[in-house]
Amino acid sequence: MLAWIGSVQPLLLGAVLLWSAQAKLFSRYAAAHARRTALAPLLGEDRAVLAYRTLAGVEAVLGAALVLPGLVRLEAVAATALSTGFLGYLAYAKIKDPKASCGCLSAQPIPINGRSFGRAGLMLAGSVLALVSGAAWPGAFAAHPVAGVALLLAEFAAIVVFSPEFDEHWLMPLRRLYARLSHPLASPGAFDVPLESTVDQLHKSSAWRDLARSVTSDVREHWDEADWRVLVYSARYAGATASAVFAVPRLRYDPQAVRAAIVDENGGTLAAVESHAQPEYAV
Amino acid sequence: MALNMDRRSLLTSAVLGSATLVGATALGSLAPEAAFAKSDDVEPGAPDPNFAEGRVTGINEGMLLVAGSDGTLWRIRVTNASSIWKLHPTSLDKVAVGDGLYARGVRLGDGTLAADAIWVNIVNLQVHIAALAPKKIHFDHRGKRIIGHVVPGVTAASYNSTPAIADMTMVQVGRHAQVIGAWLPDTNEIEIATLYTSTIEHNH
Repeated sequence: MLAWIGSVQPLLLGAVLLWSAQAKLFSRYAAAHARRTALAPLLGEDRAVLAYRTLAGVEAVLGAALVLPGLVRLEAVAATALSTGFLGYLAYAKIKDPKASCGCLSAQPIPINGRSFGRAGLMLAGSVLALVSGAAWPGAFAAHPVAGVALLLAEFAAIVVFSPEFDEHWLMPLRRLYARLSHPLASPGAFDVPLESTVDQLHKSSAWRDLARSVTSDVREHWDEADWRVLVYSARYAGATASAVFAVPRLRYDPQAVRAAIVDENGGTLAAVESHAQPEYAV
Repeated sequence: MALNMDRRSLLTSAVLGSATLVGATALGSLAPEAAFAKSDDVEPGAPDPNFAEGRVTGINEGMLLVAGSDGTLWRIRVTNASSIWKLHPTSLDKVAVGDGLYARGVRLGDGTLAADAIWVNIVNLQVHIAALAPKKIHFDHRGKRIIGHVVPGVTAASYNSTPAIADMTMVQVGRHAQVIGAWLPDTNEIEIATLYTSTIEHNH
C-alpha cells in the first residue's frame, strides 16, 4: 500500500517544482519580486535575485528528473532535502521578516502564513513517501490505475487549496457566486441619503467656501427638515464662538441652493448667506 | 429633549427663514492670500501643539485623559462647541475608556487642549475586498484579515468616485477599496462609515 502511494509521489513533486520554476523564470516581474521576498533581507538585494534564479534552475532540473522515471531513490533524496530546506527557510523567514512574501509558486507578493507551511509540509511528506517507496511510478499506475489517478488529483487539489496564487481562479469566483446567489449586503428600502453625500454636496457650495474659514469643528449634529438636511458646525465669528448652520437639499444635487446662517449662543442670527452661481472654470 | 427640539427649530428657522442677508465679504476677505494668512507657529518637523492622538485612559467631567502613542499624556477638554465623531457625529457619553482618538483644538495656558473636533477610533485603510458575508465585508489589508461591519442607516458606499449612497449591493469581491470606519478597540474589526470602491472591470 505505502509502496505504490510513495511511488506516484514523484509526479506530484515534479509537477509542483516545474510550475514553481517556470513562475520564477518566465514572469516579467520575477526580478522585482525576488527583491520583495524574504530572500532579500536574508541575502541582500542583489544576491536575492541570483539566489531566486538559481533556485528556479534547481527546481526545473529536479522537477523534470522526478517526472521522468529513473533514479528514483536519488531524486527522492534531493526532493526531501529541498523540501526540508524550504520548510526551514519558511520558518526562518517568518521569524526574521514576518511581512515578507515567501516567493513560492508565483511572482505575486503573498505573506507567509499557515497555508505556506501546509503546502511545504505536503511536499515534504510526499518526498519522504517517495524515498521510502523507491519504486518508479509507471509500475504503480499499472497496478492501481484508478486509485493512483484519484490520489494524485486529491493531492493536486490540496496543493491548489494551500496556494494563495490560485485563489483568483477558484476561490474568488466561488465567493462571487455566493454573493450573487445570497445577496449578503442587500438591505431592502435602504434609500436614505448618507450624511457623507450631503457633506460632499455642501463642500461644493459657495456658502461653504465663504464660511469654511470660520468653521472650527467637524459636523456637530444634523437632522432632516422636509426637503432639507440641516448640518450644524461650530464657528468663530467676529471673535466669538457661534454655530454655523447649513441647509443642504436632501434629495437632489443642487449646491447652489445651499443656505447658511451664523447663530450666536443666545440664538441670535449674526449672518445669513445664500449660495450664488458657481463660477465655471475650464478644466 | 424638548429643549433640544426647540433649539433645532430655532436653528432651522435661522437658516431657512428669510433672515437678513449679508454679503459674503462681510465675513472677511475672500482673497486667496487670506486662506494662507493664518500664522502657524509650528516649526517644520516639530509636533503641532493643537493636535493630539492616543488612547483614552479616563473620562472625567468633560475632560478626556489620553495617552499618546509617543508617551505624551493629554488632557482634552470637550465643550458644547466640540464635534465628536464615532462612526457618525455623536456626543461625549458615547466615548469609552480604551478608545483611540485624534483631536484638533486650541492649546490652553494650563496645558489642556480645548477640542474643536475629535475623531474617535477613526481608521482609513487601503484594502482588497476578500469576501462578503451577511452584513459583513471581509477585507484583506496587507495580508491580514479585517472584518468590516455594515451598519444599517450609517454605512455608505461611493462607487467610481460618485456621491455616496446607502446601497451596498454593488460591492464586489476582489476589488480594491478605501474604507473609512470606526475601529472596535483591540479587535481586527471595524464598523464601516464610507467605502470607496469601483464597479469597473480590471484585468490583472
